[in-house]
Amino acid sequence: MGKKISEKTLRKSFWNWFFWHGCSQQAETMLGMSFAQAMSPVIDELYDSKADKAAALKRHITLFNTEQQVGSICNGIVCGLEEANANGKCTPELISSVKVALIGPTSAIGDSLWVATIIPILLTICLSISQASPAVSWLGPIVYLIVYPIGTCILSWNLFKLGYRSGIEGMQGLMSTGKLDTLTDTMTILGLIVVGALTASFVTAVIPFKIVKDIYDATQGKTLTGQTIFDANNMVNTIFPKMIPLLLTLGVYYLYSKKKWSPLRLMGLILVVACVFTAVGYLTGYYK
Amino acid sequence: MGTHQIILIALFVYLGSIGSIVGNTIGWYTLGRPLIASFVVGVILGDVQTAMMVGIPLQIMYMGNVTPGGAVAWDLSYATYIGTAGAIVFGKGMGATEIIGLAVVFAGIGGLVGQIMWNVSYALNLPLNRVASRYAEAGATKKMFIPNVVLGQLIGFVCRFVPAIIVLTSITAASAQGDFAKIIPAWITTALGIFGGMMASLGMGIILSFLLKKKYHIVIFLVGFIFITYFNLSTMAAAVIAVIIAILYYVIVNSATITKKGVA
Repeated sequence: MGKKISEKTLRKSFWNWFFWHGCSQQAETMLGMSFAQAMSPVIDELYDSKADKAAALKRHITLFNTEQQVGSICNGIVCGLEEANANGKCTPELISSVKVALIGPTSAIGDSLWVATIIPILLTICLSISQASPAVSWLGPIVYLIVYPIGTCILSWNLFKLGYRSGIEGMQGLMSTGKLDTLTDTMTILGLIVVGALTASFVTAVIPFKIVKDIYDATQGKTLTGQTIFDANNMVNTIFPKMIPLLLTLGVYYLYSKKKWSPLRLMGLILVVACVFTAVGYLTGYYK
Repeated sequence: MGTHQIILIALFVYLGSIGSIVGNTIGWYTLGRPLIASFVVGVILGDVQTAMMVGIPLQIMYMGNVTPGGAVAWDLSYATYIGTAGAIVFGKGMGATEIIGLAVVFAGIGGLVGQIMWNVSYALNLPLNRVASRYAEAGATKKMFIPNVVLGQLIGFVCRFVPAIIVLTSITAASAQGDFAKIIPAWITTALGIFGGMMASLGMGIILSFLLKKKYHIVIFLVGFIFITYFNLSTMAAAVIAVIIAILYYVIVNSATITKKGVA
């Protein structure tokens, strides 16, 4: 009779991964140790002899890396392969090569769709809730605290089971229907509009330059003190409201994405610009 | 900050860091996000209102701080827990923009410490591979948690908790030196306010680099921008409209692909 991993062991393996996937991250094997720990209940159940267990553990403490939340599909797939191996239908070499092959695509999907799209969008929605009124500013973090971990946990577990049940074909099926692309595009549109709105309401930058003079009013024969003759900021805003924050954001985007500046370097640049603006503001009497 | 408050905040700094014992889903991606971190600090220090006031701009600023490809820009949990705590302790009696500016500066200091400690723990974890391979050699499936969880987290905890205690204690000690709302000259607080407002562009700019995949996408970004500037909508209203547009797009594209398949 063939060996089968029980539901209980699968669950145990998943929880091991969900909580402790990053516990011993380092440059040599990345997530190797945590992957081996997640696999150990499965290995324990599938193999009887010490030698078999040792061999299985040894192939799983090697280099492995992925985006851990979406990457639980790898754990599922490998569980399925180990089960096949215990029944003599798969080879250890195949398991190792499939694992290495999974690193690239799962990291890419996880990073681009989940980490870089879903998280910022959920955060921006929660930010809007918090920003709506100072009295309910606590509501935003509470919503995120509930929605994100629970939603991700459910997704992770389902991907894990999908990987176990349908193996590598299941993942290919998921990637080839085109549904994933449409979903990504939809999320991108949602994200872009919200980020645009946030940019307009949160990025502040003014040109601290105006000319204030006392003018002699000939018609009334008296001097009017402190009249603003020229206000650079007002002028820019009548052309396009909040043009300076918009240009600043697009400038940062350009430097980060096209010129490959590091965030730390950009931070330094912004600090310098802020200091220059402050100095100009004080010199022209914009700030007092 | 009292001793128990410092210990509690330092504990959350550890929990919210990358690869803590609660996993990245609950830790790094939830407790480590500035919006949540500042809320937690607010609850611990008993001033949620001020905490959220700095938490929202900090979240915008660090919006782009996710870890694509495992590259860590700077340790977010350090930055925001210490940034918010520092701003609340030092900013007593200051205006909103100045407190935000202070938070940005403290977050920068915290982030720097965090980045160093991340690299230290990354290096210290290396010998654990030897322990793990010894257990694997013996086929000890029941003991694989020792190198990963027990030893890995011992290092992780020491690298996050201890420096956080030191930084938070120094902040508390420094804040007792005087009334900073009066000591700090006006031009510094002005500069801090300007800096804080401009830093929001960093988070937005980095997020744009993830989202702008095609040239025309910039137009969609401008739609959101104009919702606020021309139509005077709140960000919440803009978000609701964004959800509606996204759903319509999804439905239209989906039905279009179905018809195409039907014709073919």
